[in-house]
Formats: sequence, C-alpha cells, structure tokens
Amino acid sequence: MGFDARRASSETVVIHVGEALDFRNADAFKSTFQEHVENGIRQFVLDFSDTEVLDSTGLGAIFSLYREISSDDGKVAFADVSEPVQVVVHLTRTYKVFRQFPSVEAAQEAFSG
Amino acid sequence: MKTFTETYTDLDRAIDEVRTLADEWKASRQSGVPDDEMIHCACLVLHEWIANLHRHARFHDEPPTVEVRLTYEDPHLSCSVSDNSEGFELDAHLPAEDDDLESLPEGGMGLRIIKSCTDDFSYAPAEDGLYRFDFSIPSDHDPWLNTLF
Repeated sequence: MGFDARRASSETVVIHVGEALDFRNADAFKSTFQEHVENGIRQFVLDFSDTEVLDSTGLGAIFSLYREISSDDGKVAFADVSEPVQVVVHLTRTYKVFRQFPSVEAAQEAFSG
Repeated sequence: MKTFTETYTDLDRAIDEVRTLADEWKASRQSGVPDDEMIHCACLVLHEWIANLHRHARFHDEPPTVEVRLTYEDPHLSCSVSDNSEGFELDAHLPAEDDDLESLPEGGMGLRIIKSCTDDFSYAPAEDGLYRFDFSIPSDHDPWLNTLF
C-alpha cells in the first residue's frame, strides 16, 4: 500500500505515514520519497498523527531518506508524533537527528522561516 | 504467577496480534497487572523479534509456528517466543557496543530496541527441538538508561 504524499510548497513534501511504517511497507515508503527526491525535493515533513507502529525497519527507511538528502542541506521533520512513535524515537535517540513539531503546519512554518 | 500463551502459524498475523496481546492478557486476568510501560516494552520487543524471524529465519520448508508466552510474577515480566526455525547465532546479529551510530544504520536497530527494553535476553535451542527467545523486564526497568548512544 502506498503512502499519501502531498506537495506543501515548491520545496516541501508532507508524507502522511498512516497507521504503520514497518518492515512490511518500508519499501513502499522508500518508493514514495524517492519519486520526490528525484524531482528535487529536499524538505520532508513526516506526519505521524495516526501512527501506531514504527519499527526498526521503518526507522531505517527514514534514515535512508535523510542520508539521501542531507548532503544537499535537506531536512526531515517529524510532526504530530504519536505516543508509540515517541517511545521508539526516544529508545533509539533519533530525536537528536530529526526535529519534532507539534503539527504539520508548525513544521512547514519552520522550514519556510 | 499469571501466564498468557498464544500460538501462531502465520507470522504476519502474529505481528499484528502481539500489539493487542497485552490487552487480551489484561482482560483475561483479575489482578496483578504489570504497568503500561512494561507491557509497551514487551510489545515492542515481540514485534521486533517476530519481524526478525519473518525476515531472516528459515523454517525447514515447514509452515512457521511461534508460541508467545507472557508470564508476570511481580516484579518481573518474562516472555518467551518458541519457534520451529533452524535457529541462528544471535551474537552474530548483535550490534557492537562501539558501532558508529551517527551513521544512521539501516539495519541493527531492532536489536538495539530489544537491548534497551529488556533486562536480559537470549536465543537458544530448547529441549523440545524448537528454538526459544527469552527476555525479561523488571518493573523498575528504565529503558532510557539502556540506550546505547
């Protein structure tokens, strides 16, 4: 199943992660962001508002996105992070890498500021 | 001591259902429920472990079968996952303590999550010919202190 991704501006794409990002749909997530990376997008907001499951493979896919764009000063932000995702973010200390925002709009505002 | 046991022959279903296993476990008991944080840690570990089996284990050309057993005896939540796979050397899959985590590795994070959430874990052949993954979480466990970087 694909991921809902929408162009929020000429530079930013918002990906709605949905209920789960795990080893079963990590490849679909990669295909989703890859298309936008190839089109020059370097700013991504990941909307975790409805996400119940984020596993290590899902996290690895997000790392993959970050590695692809970070050399071009790209950014990945986490928005509206649900409690189950927050636990994984803390356990893996990935909050050191990905900024978190209370909402998608706040993340977009930070990107445009 | 309270025990909850469930057997699965479909690993996809097992992964989906371990998320609700704790709720079922709580619903089936009258008292002595471990706290939510322990249960959440157990569910995370179960997801990571069964996903690991799903992706990497070989099952002798047989249908995979896993039995999940949760036991709570205050102050420990213990869990075992028995499987009919060919097994593998757990140490070979463990990330080294000095791995470069700043490089954001795409693999190995699952075992880091397991290490962070548990007090102790092992994977070894059992007497019944199956392989068994065991872990325990004490009630005073602080997963944040176990994070590796």
